[in-house]
Amino acid sequence: MDLHSQMILSEYDAQLPLIQRLEQVVLRVLNEALERNGLLVTAVSSRIKTKESLEGKLALKGDKYHSLSDITDILGARIITFYTDDVDRIAAMAEQLFDIDWQNSVDKRRLHDLDSFGYNSLHYICRLPKSLVDEPDCPQMNEMRFELQLRTTLQHAWASINHDIGYKTGVEIPPVYLRQINRLAGILEMADDEFSRIRTEINDYRRRVQQLVQNGKLDDVQLDGDTFRSYLNARPFETLTRRIAAINQAEIQEVSLMPYLPILKVLGCHTLGDVSRLRNKYEEDAYTLARHQLGNTDLDIISSSVGIQNICIVCILAQGGGKIGLTRLFNSLNGENEYNEMLADITFKQAQTLPFMNH
Amino acid sequence: MKTTITYNGNQIIAAFAGRLDTAAAVQTAEDVKPLQEAENKEIILDCEQLEYISSSGLRIFLGIRKDAATHGSKVIVRNINADIRQVFVMTGFISLFEIQ
Repeated sequence: MDLHSQMILSEYDAQLPLIQRLEQVVLRVLNEALERNGLLVTAVSSRIKTKESLEGKLALKGDKYHSLSDITDILGARIITFYTDDVDRIAAMAEQLFDIDWQNSVDKRRLHDLDSFGYNSLHYICRLPKSLVDEPDCPQMNEMRFELQLRTTLQHAWASINHDIGYKTGVEIPPVYLRQINRLAGILEMADDEFSRIRTEINDYRRRVQQLVQNGKLDDVQLDGDTFRSYLNARPFETLTRRIAAINQAEIQEVSLMPYLPILKVLGCHTLGDVSRLRNKYEEDAYTLARHQLGNTDLDIISSSVGIQNICIVCILAQGGGKIGLTRLFNSLNGENEYNEMLADITFKQAQTLPFMNH
Repeated sequence: MKTTITYNGNQIIAAFAGRLDTAAAVQTAEDVKPLQEAENKEIILDCEQLEYISSSGLRIFLGIRKDAATHGSKVIVRNINADIRQVFVMTGFISLFEIQ
């Protein structure tokens, strides 16, 4: 190794503690910013180039670098996203956070010819601005550059496998295999675009459903997990549950009402409009049932599901579902077990005396 | 009211006997404290000898469930009598607990 390379390696040894501090700050800043912006990613990672790796780099192209500061990837951070759109969002976030060295940054996604595929990743060379870290006794924290790589999970998978194949074989890979690897990059690029498109369409669908729920156009909304969740955000059973709670001045414990989705489907609800009509039709009888059950007790705690539960019970009985229908309800809520029949029997007997059973 | 806690491999069994009413709730809440920190366990609330449960008792069960969820544990309510099972239905908690 020549003297020049040895000097750079000595610089590396001297600056390693500083690089380690920089790494901590960069990771903290990135994680905090991702959380602040509500961006979910697959991974945030970093690495400091090892001395052995630096030696290898210097052996190959040492004369290219005057000093350690010319090597921009001594510290590298990487964010792996789920979606290709998120790479651009996080890039915008990084541009706000860091001073970007545009001359040395490269968007490898845009380097391919129209008819070629391969490594896709966005590489930003960054510095910490003084607005993030300002330590007068350590100005190097703002001078030292680091590399931020942004790529999707699929781009990362391709790059990792491509790297593994390239380095492990130790022989020059015949063009036919290179072509096969590169055409896989094309397939993954298509898959990335498809995932992003599907996400966008799902989000559009959710927004449309929320709009329909807000506008009360419930008959236009099919009943499924997403739409029922949106509907529940409007707390359609709260009035009934509060009335039931008032019977014993009870505290209401919030629980998920999602377990009632399959039951509502069995009861013939196909749209949110059907659910709304079911509620309107049976809420008074559901309240009567609750008053009959709870009025003679001192139970002053109920779950927020008691309203919808009683609506389902009353609907089953009103539709002539009887004990078998109630047993199915309890099987759905509580898992199948031998006691549900007994519960159905008790509930059926309690309801026998109530007006809705004699309509 | 008596609460007995036993350990069986990955299971912690809290066996309740008597009437879990407001008067007994303070002592029972104290007795079930060992369940609070149980990590990745199956917590069995054995109610074979439990004759009655009040709102205070339900709150203890809800507290155990909440702690268990925080620590990756699972709660199973076992052997409850018909009256107590009916309490779980009337209050709407039947869908919240795994009742066997």
